[in-house]
Amino acid sequence: MSDEKRDISRRQFLNYTLTGVGGFMAAGLLISPVRMAIDPVLKSGEGGDFANVGLEVSEITSDPQRVDWTVDQVDGWYESEVNQTAWVYRNDDDEIVAFSPVCKHLGCFVSWEGNDDYPEEYFCPCHNGRYYKNGVNVPGTPPLQPLDVYEQEERDGMLFLGNIRPHEEA
Amino acid sequence: MLQKIYDWIDDRIDITPIWRDIADHEVPEHVNPAHHFSAFVYCFGGLTFFVVVIQILSGMFLTMYYVPDIENAWQSVYYLQTEVAHAQIVRGMHHWGASVVVVMLLLHTLRVFFQGAYKKPRELNWMVGVLIFFVILGLGFTGYLLPWDNKAYFATQVGLEIAEQVPFIGEALKTLLAGDATIVGAQTLTRFFAIHVFFLPGALFALLAIHFILIRRQGISGPL
Amino acid sequence: MHKGKGMKFVGDSRITAERTSKVPKDYSEYPGRTEAFWPNFLLKEWLAGAVFLVGFLCLVLAHPSPLEGMADPTDAAYIPLPDWYFLFLYELLKYQFASGNWIILGILVIPGIGFGALFLAPFLDNGPGRRPRHRPIAVGMMLLGLASVIWLTYTSAAPVDWEERAEQNKPIPPGESIVDESHPGFAAYETSCLSCHGGELEGGAGPALVGGNEHTKEEIMDIAVNGIGSMPADQFQGTDEELEQLADFIIETNEAAAE
Repeated sequence: MSDEKRDISRRQFLNYTLTGVGGFMAAGLLISPVRMAIDPVLKSGEGGDFANVGLEVSEITSDPQRVDWTVDQVDGWYESEVNQTAWVYRNDDDEIVAFSPVCKHLGCFVSWEGNDDYPEEYFCPCHNGRYYKNGVNVPGTPPLQPLDVYEQEERDGMLFLGNIRPHEEA
Repeated sequence: MLQKIYDWIDDRIDITPIWRDIADHEVPEHVNPAHHFSAFVYCFGGLTFFVVVIQILSGMFLTMYYVPDIENAWQSVYYLQTEVAHAQIVRGMHHWGASVVVVMLLLHTLRVFFQGAYKKPRELNWMVGVLIFFVILGLGFTGYLLPWDNKAYFATQVGLEIAEQVPFIGEALKTLLAGDATIVGAQTLTRFFAIHVFFLPGALFALLAIHFILIRRQGISGPL
Repeated sequence: MHKGKGMKFVGDSRITAERTSKVPKDYSEYPGRTEAFWPNFLLKEWLAGAVFLVGFLCLVLAHPSPLEGMADPTDAAYIPLPDWYFLFLYELLKYQFASGNWIILGILVIPGIGFGALFLAPFLDNGPGRRPRHRPIAVGMMLLGLASVIWLTYTSAAPVDWEERAEQNKPIPPGESIVDESHPGFAAYETSCLSCHGGELEGGAGPALVGGNEHTKEEIMDIAVNGIGSMPADQFQGTDEELEQLADFIIETNEAAAE
């Protein structure tokens, strides 16, 4: 039966070699396609430019006001202008704060005093989500996080807004 | 560990006979290049299949970036060629694979022809093989248009005009292929894309399955 | 293997409780040096496949896939060419007996006979002999067909200057137009020259105006008014000032393109 034993180890050797050669071919075939597919993950996120939103800093009051502006967006081969919106106000420390209007619950569009029953609050019409004036979500309503804020800058008396960041005070 | 997982599955659904069916067949001496070097001609069929696999894989990945639309098709191909890492290689694999598959298919066909391997009882498999040849040529013709560059556009226009010359059904045939009676444009591109990516590959899979099943049933043709 | 009554199953399923051997059959009793497909022969096939793959990837890396400029249906000067494996059909249609009144011969009858015979080869060549010398007609027809396809492909491809073709049809990167549309001469170019020389001066019915310009400003002004070669006279009809701006525009665009 020593012959039988030798045969099995030879077959195992062939199987291992087969796996190796198969693995080599699979790697040669897949390395470029997979690298191409994961390219968006590996591309470093470009720091967004600040955009002039067309609002003078002196006009910002303690009442949140809505500003709309457009940014040029390059999406692969497709370039377009994208409308963006923010709620801008001056807080108690005299700092300018610009909130993203996207509700942290399910991504609807929140409005300042959007419902007559809840004055001095942001209101989301989808599931009655509410936020205080400082962007913090009202406990007991659907949203679990405060509204995101835009990075902001002042240049020549005009307000410039950049990337969206999570609210830090929460 | 792997052995245990395998045994666990095999206990329940008895998969060993399934792969044994594929793995267990004898390879006669006359097709084995280890014994007769000239037997390398028997490799052409397998290599054709290998290139088809390359084509399927690279094509699947290319559709992640490609759009079949006359405004954006060329833009998206240009974008993936210039901006996406390794995408030029993937497109190169698909581009050159299309040529290599025709060459390999031709060599395989000539091998079978000059050995007379299509004779009784293998007539059916020869005809299936010729149909595969036609499907591959169809894939080449429809795929040529997709990058929507000048070369693609004008070659397709010529192809469609040839189709139009066919008596009686010519104009209907051209409209069927182009999606419009006069314009080679947006509707042509989507049609060619659908044919290239869904219809012909579907036909190709079915024909390849028949081709391989027939080979296994009949065995490889004997030595001359 | 156990069959019929007394067969054991896994639980209440239809799976037999008896295991199939994982050791391949022994083919040593077969005539000649027969061997098992798995794993002996498959390994050889895969080694050949791996070598083939390396060669193929080298080809891919050495020759990036070409891409010409975006399709422009108005480009009347473009000479279409199909992919190489359709060249023989394309060339066939240039012959007199396969075009004009005989077009049906060229597009249906001749290819139909060729491919039809290929498809039905087992029935046309139905003798018992398999060796080529036992079936001279079939083999002769195949060699004839093969030779004519190769010949047609060759005559179609040989006169083409592939490198020049690729050079002429290079893609223009989007958003990198060399034409300054705010130049005072652009309006004159647009009305008088663009329809033949193209929006990017890349040529069309007329030759390209960028790359290798040999004319001076005065010569350009003269050509615009009096024509040159096959270009007719009086293409430009405007004031002398506009003519001068036009020549400036062409020269400056050439300078911009050269950078």
